[in-house]
Amino acid sequence: MTQTHKFPLPSSARENLEEALGLVWHKREENMTEAAVLRKAMEDGVSKDAYGLVVEGGYAREIAGRLELTPEGEALGANITRRHRLAERLLTDVLSLDDPAVDPNACQLEHIISAEVTESICTLLGHPRECPHGLTIPPGDCCHRAEKYLEPIVVPLSRMRPGEEGRVAYLQLREHPELHRLLSLGMIPGASLRLHQTYPAYVVDLGESQLALEETVAARVFVRRS
Amino acid sequence: MGLKTLVLVGNPNVGKSVLFHRLTGRYAAVSNYPGTTVDLSSGLTSLAGEKWRVVDTPGVNSLLPSSEDERVTRDFLLRERPDLVLNVMDAKNLSRGLGLTLELAEYGISMAVALNIADEAMDRGITIDAERLSRRLGVPVVSTVATTGEGMAELKRVLERPTCPIARPPLGPDLDRALEGFAPHFRKGEAAHRAVGLALLAGDETILTWAGGLLAPGSGERQLFEAAQAQRARFARPPRHLIFDAREAQVREIVADVLTMGGRIEPRLSQRIGQWCLRPWPGYLIAGVILYVVYLFVGVFGAGTAVNFLEKTVFGKFITPGVTRFLEALRTPGFVTDILVGPYGVVSMAFSYAFALILPIVTTFFIAFGLLEDSGYLPRLSVLLDRVFRVMGLNGRAVLPVILGLGCDTMATMTARILDTKKERVIVTLLLALSIPCSAQLAVILGMTAGMSPRVLVLWLTVLIGVTLAAGWGASRLLPGARSTFVMEIPPIRRPLLRNIFMKMKVRLTWYLKEVVPLFVWGTLILFFLDRWRWLGALERACAPVVQRFLGLPAEATQAFLIGFLRRDYGAAGLYHLQKAGQLDLRQVTVSLVLITLFMPCIAQWLIMFKERGWREASSITVVVMAVALGVSGAVNGLLVAFPLLVG
Repeated sequence: MTQTHKFPLPSSARENLEEALGLVWHKREENMTEAAVLRKAMEDGVSKDAYGLVVEGGYAREIAGRLELTPEGEALGANITRRHRLAERLLTDVLSLDDPAVDPNACQLEHIISAEVTESICTLLGHPRECPHGLTIPPGDCCHRAEKYLEPIVVPLSRMRPGEEGRVAYLQLREHPELHRLLSLGMIPGASLRLHQTYPAYVVDLGESQLALEETVAARVFVRRS
Repeated sequence: MGLKTLVLVGNPNVGKSVLFHRLTGRYAAVSNYPGTTVDLSSGLTSLAGEKWRVVDTPGVNSLLPSSEDERVTRDFLLRERPDLVLNVMDAKNLSRGLGLTLELAEYGISMAVALNIADEAMDRGITIDAERLSRRLGVPVVSTVATTGEGMAELKRVLERPTCPIARPPLGPDLDRALEGFAPHFRKGEAAHRAVGLALLAGDETILTWAGGLLAPGSGERQLFEAAQAQRARFARPPRHLIFDAREAQVREIVADVLTMGGRIEPRLSQRIGQWCLRPWPGYLIAGVILYVVYLFVGVFGAGTAVNFLEKTVFGKFITPGVTRFLEALRTPGFVTDILVGPYGVVSMAFSYAFALILPIVTTFFIAFGLLEDSGYLPRLSVLLDRVFRVMGLNGRAVLPVILGLGCDTMATMTARILDTKKERVIVTLLLALSIPCSAQLAVILGMTAGMSPRVLVLWLTVLIGVTLAAGWGASRLLPGARSTFVMEIPPIRRPLLRNIFMKMKVRLTWYLKEVVPLFVWGTLILFFLDRWRWLGALERACAPVVQRFLGLPAEATQAFLIGFLRRDYGAAGLYHLQKAGQLDLRQVTVSLVLITLFMPCIAQWLIMFKERGWREASSITVVVMAVALGVSGAVNGLLVAFPLLVG
């Protein structure tokens, strides 16, 4: 198969480096920084030379048996983690891929999505804070900007205000098969809706029908505001 | 071969049951509350001089089932192979209706479409080109207003013309190929292979338990299951989503072709009222006013005026004395006289309670309930009460059985079926057995407390609400399983048609008379013999320690509780007599009211509970109810001994 990676670098060394830093970053979330363990994990999971790439490239230092990320390593590690977890969200929420299909696809996507595409995905998803497995997604520039200047374009219904209108962007149905009922009630991507009230339950006008939903359901309906 | 079958299929709340009635002259309990028609009702009609069987199915949103109702409808279509499907849809909600139409197309059955509620669509400026839609679908399409009968003649005419099965819309190369992959497993010319295939692709394997009859020789459920597994593994996205997307695209395309929207019309008054009823303000106020009006109608008019007239005048002055005189004239032996008009006589007790005391109350309640149902108010009450019900591990959908329970707990216990999960059904059944008083009982209780300090009523109500919330909360903690989420369609507010209300009342009253009145007679006979053989006294003495010491009540009250098992209100009525005879003080009245409300459900409800929930669950519920009832009443007694001023 011909590889047509355009970005960031068409080299497998770059991918291995990213993969390795992502591993270090993730292990640190689990409080595991022991150099020997990480080295073994990289050799098994990434490549034989991955540990060397990380240390010799100046992305991490070994201090008293522990592996510590340098500022460059930190930035790249956070970045690759962010891309991976955003990709997982995209595949799960928007494309509703089956669970076993999510991880391998996310692993490929993370290396080929550019900074701009990453930001677009992040904005589309409404700057999510957690991946489908509940791990934190490191925030990017777009997330900080969104907090300061503008509200995200796609928001869960539960964060809209009464009277606001929009179109359904996607629904998170994976862990909630009973919410398939929403689809047959007309709550489908592209349907335009108007939020009527949020208390005691969420009530939306959807075409000519009206639906009442509780808040946990409203939090799984993502709407592109108009 | 028997009769040919016509089956009505459509989304919930599109007027299917009214249409059914128009076709057959029979009435299925119609309602505005999604999911009320649980069973299939059937009737007869004649088309082109031939008799047809007409079957009404529960409202469904999709034939890829996500609820019991949807499964029932889907299985009916596949197993019974009706000759003709009448697809009923809400004209103002065309895209939702068409989603189902396209699914129906997979079944290879002749079809006609009724665009019902055409008047409301017109009011909203929606115009549908029925002829164009008919050409696109390849089946006849008729606009109807079932409630007024508009378009019915045209519909009948269309149903008489032979219609050909609708063309099956392709779902895209991948899905179509997968569906064709199932074809070799089915008998040659089997029309439903796509429908079964779709169910299997969507992951619904319940269909395998009975698909055997459709299969080709040499294939079997096992092979079909494996084929389904193999086909599903070829898709990265769940096939259910793909099927849905494909259908959605088709629906959008058809809608764009046949539907035109007129100018947006100012919201009508009924729509505005509909909105008010949903918001906390003035929604809760409206709910309070409606509750009060229902109370005036059922509690004051039904249980007061009407009961007084029937009990004192009709039974007291005419029937009982009349029968007594008739028996005297015949010189019947004393035993026969006693069994008919004695203190525990069939006429003097069973009939007078059933017809004079209970009948007017349930009649007025069913009228009030019918009005609330048909006006579209009940789903709004569900929205307002959803949060309260969540404390009890339920959601707003459970409002329907509980409100119905205030009318008749027995009927409500059956309605618990509409709830999504087993856990919710158990909790609602428990609450109905424990702490939701039925209208008959409520009326007697309100009568008893009428002349007393309002504090008695307030205390009784507080204890009842407290027990309901606590029992629901406790049960939701102890029972395994999750609460289901609250998603509900809110129908528009409509003006109820009296004709339909009375039809529905008639159906419910017939049920009441057929199921419940015989139980009254049996109950009275049991009491009669218990009394005759002097077992009543023995039972009273046996229960004395609990009744007298723990609850602080007179021994005679035991009898009221025993009777209470036959009919809850019977028991309350027994207490009423004790109180009138001056045998109960305020504390005792309060304690006995709490006990009679919480204690055993009536025998009819108890039997239904066993039928619906099975003996294990039903007997556990019984034990819990008895323990809670005795415990709480004992506690109330203790409280009032310590602080008599609470009611004094």
